[in-house]
Amino acid sequence: MAAFIPTKKALHEWRLYLFVIPSLVLIAVFAYFPAISAVYHSFFDWQGGNYKEFIGWDNFIQAWTDDVLWQSFGTVFILIVANLFKMIPSIAVAVVIHRLVSDRWQYWYRVLVVVPMIVPELVRLFIWKFFYDPTFGLLNKILDWIELKPILVSLDTYVLHWNVFREGFPIPWLSEPHLIVPSLIFWGFPWIGAVGVLIFLAGLESIGREVYETAELDGANGFQKFLYIEFPLILTQIRLMLILMVIGTIQGYGLQLLLLGQDGGAGGAGMVPGLWMFNRAFSAGQFGYACAIGMVLFVFILVLTLINNKYIRIQR
Amino acid sequence: MRLTTPTTVTVKAVGREKLELPKHLFVLAVLAIELLPFYMMLQISFKNNVMFNANPWLPILPGATLVENFRFAYHLILPYAANTIFVSVTAATANLFFAILAAYFFARYKMPFSNVLWSAFLTLMLIPSVTNIVPLFTLLKKLNLLNSLWGLIAVAVASGQVFNIFVLRNFIEDLPRDLFEAAEMDGAGHWKQIIHIVIPLSGPIIGTLFILSFLGCWNDFLMPLIILRDPQLFTLGVGLIYLDGDYAKDWGHIMAAFFMASLPLLIMFLFTMKLFIRGLSAGALKG
Repeated sequence: MAAFIPTKKALHEWRLYLFVIPSLVLIAVFAYFPAISAVYHSFFDWQGGNYKEFIGWDNFIQAWTDDVLWQSFGTVFILIVANLFKMIPSIAVAVVIHRLVSDRWQYWYRVLVVVPMIVPELVRLFIWKFFYDPTFGLLNKILDWIELKPILVSLDTYVLHWNVFREGFPIPWLSEPHLIVPSLIFWGFPWIGAVGVLIFLAGLESIGREVYETAELDGANGFQKFLYIEFPLILTQIRLMLILMVIGTIQGYGLQLLLLGQDGGAGGAGMVPGLWMFNRAFSAGQFGYACAIGMVLFVFILVLTLINNKYIRIQR
Repeated sequence: MRLTTPTTVTVKAVGREKLELPKHLFVLAVLAIELLPFYMMLQISFKNNVMFNANPWLPILPGATLVENFRFAYHLILPYAANTIFVSVTAATANLFFAILAAYFFARYKMPFSNVLWSAFLTLMLIPSVTNIVPLFTLLKKLNLLNSLWGLIAVAVASGQVFNIFVLRNFIEDLPRDLFEAAEMDGAGHWKQIIHIVIPLSGPIIGTLFILSFLGCWNDFLMPLIILRDPQLFTLGVGLIYLDGDYAKDWGHIMAAFFMASLPLLIMFLFTMKLFIRGLSAGALKG
């Protein structure tokens, strides 16, 4: 434990404080000041310059009646639900890698899982954007190749009535309002998250070979082994990834910004709260209102973080 | 102790082998789709648009187009990569330097106000960076750090402090106290203790944290997009965004540029694979 230094002696040892001051100054200037400034300016009509006018709760009232903001929360909700299902492949891959007998193969699969992480996120994002390209993109080429397109066309004609899948026309994945959210969801297929897989694997490591052998003697099949042995052991990790995913999805907007642009694509179908904040500040110049949107987001994330700290971190 | 006889071992191994194949096939199939984007990037960088349209899937033999594509990519990416390396290395180094000092303070001594200062760091974990971005922009403008790589570095260093100090404090607290006491007997000051005890003993954790900070900087595109205006200052993030914004797209050029942009990390990965994998597992604690 740390050595205790009483107040009197501390006066002699004042130099010790110098060790913590650089970090303190950094977070005071670049983290606390902007945070406080955001709270303060959310009550102002502010264009980012020196002129500002106090308007009380007006920004928040505007946010409450802002259809785009409501809609963006709806979109983010859909994305969170989708991301929930997108956790399944990572869990499945981790479990299967763990069940391999050979440690050497386990290691090499781990390395292969990590490889996508070393390609800059942006590059991966743009390659996927290229996949969605109507004329050059791979997605349309694959759909033509496996002859799925006619099925989509009849689905559209008889069920969806979106008028987006048409015979003889390439599918405009990222420029058709109906298709934007599905494209955002499909993005990154098969959705293997390197960090997730590694964390699940770390959780699974505590299961010994004998446990499996006993289960096999009892005649458990693959899925039962997952349900009764593996799942309970990685429950903590799954909850951790879940909360991280929810927080990340609520505040994330990089994907939408790069794939669809500042306006959230055609008809604003891909607009999420973070992007709307970015858009209001840097495209409309409404810095005060953007701060207010930031506050709304902050409250959501704070609640989630507190839940996380209270129920999940402690068990680690 | 294992008391299994050789015969049962062989029987089991044969039984297992059969079960292993589907598992390998599953993992390999998933990984193949996961890595498809990078295969496409690599093989398209060999082609121009005409060649790509004629043969989108299969790789071709390297030819003049490859040289042309990579010449374009080299000239485009090199300055961006240099800026990014400068920013990432400086930020990660400064990040850890300050974090080690602060962690040493918190781990070794309980001074008056220690707890207050500690909560100042912990509270930051609750503040999501997304809400800061708008005031941060105006702050950097006032400090004249807009359109400057130093602004980018300052923000990166500040935002990494909490996590790094948190991890390092726990680590330094677990170091044997006798070592520090012996050093103090010999008259070693705080600097000497940090240089001769803390840094050598926490090498792997420092390496892991360095990689995480470096990776965070390298992958960031939002801050550079907001902060940087001059093309000479662009990091890879902004550079690639502007490249993607061009209307007439030569995919061979673009994919070659993407490949060049991935190269530095790829090389770094080859040398630090183990630290990397451990770092990424630890990265989730960051939250």
